[in-house]
Amino acid sequence: MDNSICQVYEDEIQSLEEEIKLLAEKYEDGQQESIFFSDEEILMSIKTFQKEFQGPSKRHESPSDLKAELESVEKDLSFLMKFTGIQFTSHSKKTLEKTRNRTMQKHRLKGNCHSLSFQLEFQLLETQNKECVSAVITDLSIIMDSGEDSDMRKFVSSIEEHGNLLTFFRSLSSYAEWYEHRRCTFLHFK
Amino acid sequence: GVFTHLEMLEARAHEAAVQQEEKEQEEEKLAGLKARVEELRLRRDELQAKVDLQQKGQLGKEGVVSDAAQPSARAVLEWKIKSVKAMLQVFYLTGNVSRFACVLPTAAFWGLLDVQRTGMPGWSGGWGHCTLRAASPTLMDSLPSFAFQKLSLSLQEHFSDQIEGTLQRNSLCNLLVFNYNVSSKSETFPFKVRLLYGDLSCSLPTEVVISCTPDAPASLAETAAAHSDLFRRVALHKAFRSFGRAEESGD
Repeated sequence: MDNSICQVYEDEIQSLEEEIKLLAEKYEDGQQESIFFSDEEILMSIKTFQKEFQGPSKRHESPSDLKAELESVEKDLSFLMKFTGIQFTSHSKKTLEKTRNRTMQKHRLKGNCHSLSFQLEFQLLETQNKECVSAVITDLSIIMDSGEDSDMRKFVSSIEEHGNLLTFFRSLSSYAEWYEHRRCTFLHFK
Repeated sequence: GVFTHLEMLEARAHEAAVQQEEKEQEEEKLAGLKARVEELRLRRDELQAKVDLQQKGQLGKEGVVSDAAQPSARAVLEWKIKSVKAMLQVFYLTGNVSRFACVLPTAAFWGLLDVQRTGMPGWSGGWGHCTLRAASPTLMDSLPSFAFQKLSLSLQEHFSDQIEGTLQRNSLCNLLVFNYNVSSKSETFPFKVRLLYGDLSCSLPTEVVISCTPDAPASLAETAAAHSDLFRRVALHKAFRSFGRAEESGD
């Protein structure tokens, strides 16, 4: 019957819609990463935007709204970096799969915690069910600059096996702090 | 004889007409679906081409704006906000945020995090609430006071005409006490509210006590009850916003 042809079309429509969502996200991510504006350019844009904008606000976000939002998120970021001692110097993500309930992304992170540098790569699978989203980390690989240390290597392998980023950063944070203390102490005695 | 025959012919004709109509409807539906498929295929191919081009690195800054060769100031700012937010998200992803229930009426970005079995925070949608999770003892200690500082500054900034004086908090940072003004019949009366956030995993207070001055009119007791209920149900900044709106509409 024609019902089967209908079904075929409907299935294709659904798969095309998901493909389009995935491609749109890939494009967005790519756009975001392919461009870069320096701090001066950002400052100049703020000034230009405020000048350009005259009269009653036609759009939702006026220049002062955007500027306020930028300041707010930058303050939050600098707070987090200050308190965790962690600074992420580069981050790239690739969307591998995107359906209605599942998103699979590959992340690459570089950064340092106090004086210790690290590089991470992992896959993140986000599944949506009812009201909550669950996130699972797989394929975690970590490279530490101070990787020659055998204890560090053991620690890193165990983290890679369990995919527990929280433990990694928590331990790295306190290890890095003590590392710093030790370094300062030794310097003091020189 | 003749009439029965005529009736039969009529019935057949009617049935044929109905069948014809159904057939046409089906064909229309199929045509519609086919058109949609083609439309989507076209869009998919366009996007694919854009992504391929991007991969080859040919779409530079031009890709940001629709027509002009120079990205607009707004586009630049939006790019910057997006990249800072992405970095913040990395902090969440990697579990580097503290688990403390508080209301941060700042960027709607914070959303509501739900800690899953893997110990990784995930998104649960929602706006203006924040449940954070500790990565280190220092962070856990500092975040409540930071969060409260931020909360009080935010509240005072946005609702300065309603909130009197400074917000008080206790050392555990789970108790918030402040005064705010309520107007009734062109007179204003101070309400003193005491919010206890007894459950750290919930961003709403577990206990709300509102008291008014003894000379306040009896009608205000109803208002106090309504406000008390509101504080229990919605985030603090939302509650204040709705008070503001109620006053504007001349409640």
